[in-house]
Amino acid sequence: MSSPALITDRNMKKKLWIGLFLLFVLFTACEKEVDYLYEVNPVTVSSAGSGKSNAKSTTEFLTIAWADLFGTQIPQQELIQLNTVYQAFGDKKLIEDRILLNFLTRPGVQIPALPHVNGDTLQFVVSTYKKLYNRSPDAFEQYYMKEQIRLNAAMSPRVIWYALMTADEYRYY
Amino acid sequence: MMDRRKFIRKAGVAAAGALAAPWLLPGGRLFAASGLRKVNHVVFLLFAGGVRNLESVQFNDGNLMPNMLSGGSSISPDILPAMDALPPGPLSQPLQNYGTLFRQFRYKQGPTGHYNGHTVAVTGQYVNTDLNIREAPRNPTLFEYYRKHNSPQQTALNCWWVANSLGPYPALNYSSDPSYGPAYGANFISPNFLISQNGFNALGYPAAFSASEEAAIRNIRKFSNGVFNKSYTDPSAGVVNSPAEAAQLQQFITDLYAKAQSGQYINPWGVGASMNNDMYNVMFAEEIIQRFKPELLVVNMQDVDIGHFNFSQYANNLRKADWAAAHFWSIIQSTPGMANDTVMVIAPEHGRNFNPNTSLDAYGRLALDHTAPGDGVSGDQMAREIFCLVVGPPTVVKQGIVINTPAGESTEIVPAIANLLGFDNNIPMSSGLKNYNQCDLAQAFY
Repeated sequence: MSSPALITDRNMKKKLWIGLFLLFVLFTACEKEVDYLYEVNPVTVSSAGSGKSNAKSTTEFLTIAWADLFGTQIPQQELIQLNTVYQAFGDKKLIEDRILLNFLTRPGVQIPALPHVNGDTLQFVVSTYKKLYNRSPDAFEQYYMKEQIRLNAAMSPRVIWYALMTADEYRYY
Repeated sequence: MMDRRKFIRKAGVAAAGALAAPWLLPGGRLFAASGLRKVNHVVFLLFAGGVRNLESVQFNDGNLMPNMLSGGSSISPDILPAMDALPPGPLSQPLQNYGTLFRQFRYKQGPTGHYNGHTVAVTGQYVNTDLNIREAPRNPTLFEYYRKHNSPQQTALNCWWVANSLGPYPALNYSSDPSYGPAYGANFISPNFLISQNGFNALGYPAAFSASEEAAIRNIRKFSNGVFNKSYTDPSAGVVNSPAEAAQLQQFITDLYAKAQSGQYINPWGVGASMNNDMYNVMFAEEIIQRFKPELLVVNMQDVDIGHFNFSQYANNLRKADWAAAHFWSIIQSTPGMANDTVMVIAPEHGRNFNPNTSLDAYGRLALDHTAPGDGVSGDQMAREIFCLVVGPPTVVKQGIVINTPAGESTEIVPAIANLLGFDNNIPMSSGLKNYNQCDLAQAFY
């Protein structure tokens, strides 16, 4: 049988150990949590060509279309005649379409040849957008146009140029 | 819990609401107008350029308009040598026998200028100030009223404005009124400029695409328009036709060029060198009649405006305009779908002065301006005196009637046409148009 003094000493040690254990748990369990913030650079989402807000005037449209297709400045007499014809019909989209169709049959039209599908198609797409829309195509446009050219034998440069020149973006700057 | 009586009452209210709802119209009207049409086609021939009643319905130099008007004597001998030969008239009797003639119609207010006169004619409202000729009219045009308020709504293929000159006239196919505008405008054409050598050079050799190329073009265009955030439909794009209708219009233009190339427009009416711009303009309006059978067509003539400088040629061109009007009616009556179902209204935009200016022609006649009092320059009231002739099916238009007293005015033509086509009651009261029931022009119709 142990004496009361011995019991007290053992109790004290036990309490001391428990206290140390609790202190250990307290300090290790309350470690400050580190917040990690994963970020990307700010990106403004907008549609391609969205910066163009001004419709071209008749003269601007005719002048720019001529320059794009023939690589020269439109002769003054030609511009006057086209302006007259332009005024003579009320549906301007229709008459612009008709004027462009006529440009395409004239000698001197400078539409680049489409390289082989396995060739530099991307370069053709990029240069066409830069020429007609004054901007680079975004990734989606590059992919779509390349796929169209790859999959559709009817996608000649003349078809692509005419389609882009009669789309809404060509009417704006 | 709802009792039986409450249920029946609520069900009744709901049923009444359901029946009434379809008749609540966007314009705020509770019920649609009856929409009873008197005819399905109306043609308004603006006998413009400034025509003085003295030379037209008053036969001061004989009957210069024998295809439209009956009576009168032969042409004054002093100007007779200036008259070009014309073939016999296209009609068996003068046009006035097919309808009602108002010999003292009036252009009552506003400057007696051509553009003002045209604007009043197609808007039905006087404009008391000089107009900016670079702007569309501020008040809605007849075309917009028709396309917005006719039920069912019609496309621009049914609605045409055919002008014999450019300048401000292309702007008359729709107004700047924000409630109307190009979405309700008419197809506009000035054939003398479009179907010309210049026009052919610009438009006559269009590139052709195969069906698969057309499909590819549609795909690319649709893709590009989908990516872009704006549609080119602002007012500068003019009147809008659907792709299918635009294709019909493209084919129409192609066919007109083909006819021109094959020589069909060389002396088409057998009048030789007498064929003037007015006649060509009416001839192309006839092409529209035959191709599209429009419900509403307005066409003008203006060659009599040479009257500022040469009275005898003014008289000569009056004869040609008269011949063209009769030919126009003969084509309408020989076009299935329009024959016996068309009313034609003929009126100048304004008159000319009683007092001449100082330009003397080779036959000793002094020329005539058109400046009414209040225009800011000297002038006289005769510039406001015009005529109006209405012809049409005998069941619709009173035949062989001549109204000799002052009756009717320029602003009555728009409400009269709206009534003929059955949409006058759909036009908001706030439009400021004259009520048809208060129009003297209504005397011409049953």
